Amino acid sequence: MKDHRENKVWELKQSGFSLGALLRVWLIIGATSFGGGAMTQYLIQDHFIYRRSWITEEEYAHFWAMCQIAPGINLLAVTILIGNHLAGRMGVAISLLGLVLPSAVITIAISAAYSSISQYPRVQSALRTVFAAIFGISLATNWRMVRPILLANYKHGWQRFAFTLGLFTGSAVFYMVCKPPVAILYILGGLFGAAVYWRTAKKSDEGE
Amino acid sequence: MYWLLFFAVVLKAVLFSTGGMGPLPSLHNDLIAYGWSTEKEFTEALAIGQLTPGPSGLWVLSLCYLVAGLPGALLSCLALLLPPQLILLVQYGYSRIAGHEATQGVLDGVVLVIVSFSVLVLAEIMKSNGLDISLLIITAVSAALAISRRVSANYILAVAALVGFIAN
Repeated sequence: MKDHRENKVWELKQSGFSLGALLRVWLIIGATSFGGGAMTQYLIQDHFIYRRSWITEEEYAHFWAMCQIAPGINLLAVTILIGNHLAGRMGVAISLLGLVLPSAVITIAISAAYSSISQYPRVQSALRTVFAAIFGISLATNWRMVRPILLANYKHGWQRFAFTLGLFTGSAVFYMVCKPPVAILYILGGLFGAAVYWRTAKKSDEGE
Repeated sequence: MYWLLFFAVVLKAVLFSTGGMGPLPSLHNDLIAYGWSTEKEFTEALAIGQLTPGPSGLWVLSLCYLVAGLPGALLSCLALLLPPQLILLVQYGYSRIAGHEATQGVLDGVVLVIVSFSVLVLAEIMKSNGLDISLLIITAVSAALAISRRVSANYILAVAALVGFIAN
């Protein structure tokens, strides 16, 4: 175990790794990843896997899979895992600082600039059309998230497929009619999903 | 402004969600209910969030700046950074729970609820902006282009902004 870690440190040093270099890479990504999460993810892969070989494709895929079951913004969780993998707690702190500081400063600066020009009708009009486009892009993104679940559960049998459609439409109707606290519905959705998947898997095991 | 309550509201939205748009339904519900934010500010923050670098979830930072100034932005930044720290706990137990059917059930269940809410909330915000046929066409074309992956999201947004700027 110790040998493995020493080898890893040696390999990292050979590929030019240092805490200063780690901070520089995250600062570059944080300041240049215009275009949202997809662009940020692209730059992370480009810098860490292909340009510097500080992590492997397999390690990145493993980190990304883990982040799907963690709360909050997935890319921040990936940042934490990469920082921890490369340099422990100090790596986590440096990675978060490097990614978030420039992007947060630019976000606040653009928000402040927007506040000073928001009263102009042309700006308002542009904002409405941009939001319409965001809604369209978001429909596509949401479809990409739901499609694999629908397909997998369709293949898995009618019970899971009915659950998928029922939870998707039922939660929307319940939200519109009752306006319950959203967090409660997230928890209920998760628990309901766990119970149905566990039950159907158990039944299929018994059937075999 | 009750800063502790404000922080708790943002933290709750981030903690019980996943992904960049995940906090939207909860934040929309709470900030509107407390009278701290308007539909217009959500529209503005979501648009600004698409123009800025970094993870897409930073639209929350823009919203909190528009709603509560710099202190609000700093508090929201902290609220965005705390929940992802739990990934280190997830990493610790991941190998034991990753293969379990119930784990996938939790993930799929939460994703289905979040997607369903997000579409509803975005539709509600768009309706409050004033619906007309040109906006619906922009939405439909943007969705089709985004699904086809032939055009980058940045280009779609730039063209939409130009159309709105010229059309006024």
